[in-house]
Amino acid sequence: MTYQETMSSKERVMNALAGKPVDRTPAVNPTNVATVELMDLVNAPFPYACQDGEMAARLAATGYTELGFDSVSPYFSIIQESSALGCEMQWEEKDNWPTVRMYNPIWKSAADVKIPSDILEHRDMKAITDSIRMLKDEFGNEVAIIGKTMGPWTLAYHVFGVESFLLGTVDNPEETKRALEKLKEISVLFGQAQIDAGADALTFPDHATGDLVSGAYYKDFLQEIHTEMVDVLDVPLILHICGKTVDRMPYIAKTGMASFHFDSKNDPQEAMDAVDGGITLVGNINNPETLYARGPEEVRQEVYKCLEAGVQMIGPECAIPLATKIENLMEIPLAIKDWTAERHG
Amino acid sequence: MTLISYNGPRPKDVIAKYGRCLELIPTDKRFNEISVGLYVKNSVFTVWSFSTKPGVEKRIEEIRDLLVSLGGMSPISGTYNQAKFDCGLIHNRPVRFLLSQAVGKDPEYAASTAAMEIKDSKSDLLIKAEGFDRDNIRCYQISTTGEAKNPAMRLRMIVAGFSKYGEMDKIGDQEIAFECRSNHDGLLRILLPYSRNVSSVETMMQAESMRGQMTTNTLGFSQT
Repeated sequence: MTYQETMSSKERVMNALAGKPVDRTPAVNPTNVATVELMDLVNAPFPYACQDGEMAARLAATGYTELGFDSVSPYFSIIQESSALGCEMQWEEKDNWPTVRMYNPIWKSAADVKIPSDILEHRDMKAITDSIRMLKDEFGNEVAIIGKTMGPWTLAYHVFGVESFLLGTVDNPEETKRALEKLKEISVLFGQAQIDAGADALTFPDHATGDLVSGAYYKDFLQEIHTEMVDVLDVPLILHICGKTVDRMPYIAKTGMASFHFDSKNDPQEAMDAVDGGITLVGNINNPETLYARGPEEVRQEVYKCLEAGVQMIGPECAIPLATKIENLMEIPLAIKDWTAERHG
Repeated sequence: MTLISYNGPRPKDVIAKYGRCLELIPTDKRFNEISVGLYVKNSVFTVWSFSTKPGVEKRIEEIRDLLVSLGGMSPISGTYNQAKFDCGLIHNRPVRFLLSQAVGKDPEYAASTAAMEIKDSKSDLLIKAEGFDRDNIRCYQISTTGEAKNPAMRLRMIVAGFSKYGEMDKIGDQEIAFECRSNHDGLLRILLPYSRNVSSVETMMQAESMRGQMTTNTLGFSQT
């Protein structure tokens, strides 16, 4: 008997996010799988593909049409909302990520947080909502469209500066909580706009990373907000936090989020044990050492390791390096299919 | 509405036809910032870009021609984008440096025919590589002239640099050869500046590899 797929890509992803049975494990990209070669293929280079809806849609579509992933994600970076809020931007060139110049923050305290009434009309917000509409028109229910709305912790880094914001969490935690409460409104506004445009799920990056803060910080400052987001935004949410995060996974598992997008600094089996069935996991193929620097065979080994551990959706650990070789990305869905055939064929 | 219409071959077709991507230059500063890949299959190298901008074919041919003139490859007849080494090997590591040079150099750049020598970057020594044939093997004698604190140590380090970046074998005292034992004077000339300073090259390569990576470091979300 040979293994046969019986689900559409979208059905597969949505089932996996809901913890329901799937015909095979989906290949999912909650962040980004665009590369410089794919930008050339569809004539949608950075930074313009981050500013123009049609370019964003064309580039995102390649994740499905060329790489074989089961989802598409047109919000490639993490800066759209911050740009719309007026942060100083460094747009960079085709081969590098646009960033916020956090050394020159726009706000000092929670009292400064003001959301422009027309923020959703800003070019960099519309680029995402427009692209989601175009992807929906193009693919309908064929492939899962994953939007992205930044969480308040990440937005706080951008608008207050990393150092200033983190010092504030120690000096005046109540002020920090007030700022997060106000910033989360942006997460909701943009998330809802993407849902209205046709997003099937949302990635919710909130970089309370293992490099900077402890698991206790997550519990104190973010667990409640993330739990609230699940009630407010009526699509499956995929929380993304970089770095070593095993210490906060048990808290994350209690938020009600559909999935946690985890970093390769966490062993897949250790992560599965940490969440203990409380949340699904997506990840965690290493970017710099495997997808960027090695070949398909090494990619395949990591995919198999995740599958053996029971990780519910497989994808890169974070937004991939822009000079990643296409064959390494194509290997992810191929390896999933082969593994499934070997186990269940 | 059709979101995407393809004018050229798609990735799976390119990989099937031209093989794996050995090296990828993200942006060609000399031509519309296109990406340029070096694909390899059955020892044949193909210079490829997914860009369909007008003039891209001519630009690819220029790069291929520099692989030939700088690196000593032979063009594949009837093609504008393919070449191979006569020895039939890939020479994985040095070819990456060769592609970088071919994309970066002016297309009119003429390969040097002068003696293979370069000033040391860490001392006042002059590093010299001399190719000669012995028992059907192309050997390269590496030597230094001039003043330095410990010239023997410097020479060992330079030879180690050739081993690292050229994947070359040490076949005698200060004598090295490529894996295929063939004449690759062009490649050796390309390797000369890299081999004299491994630590700087490693730093440069590390910096290049970090460009385009989204990590907590590059985002500024980590302790520095």
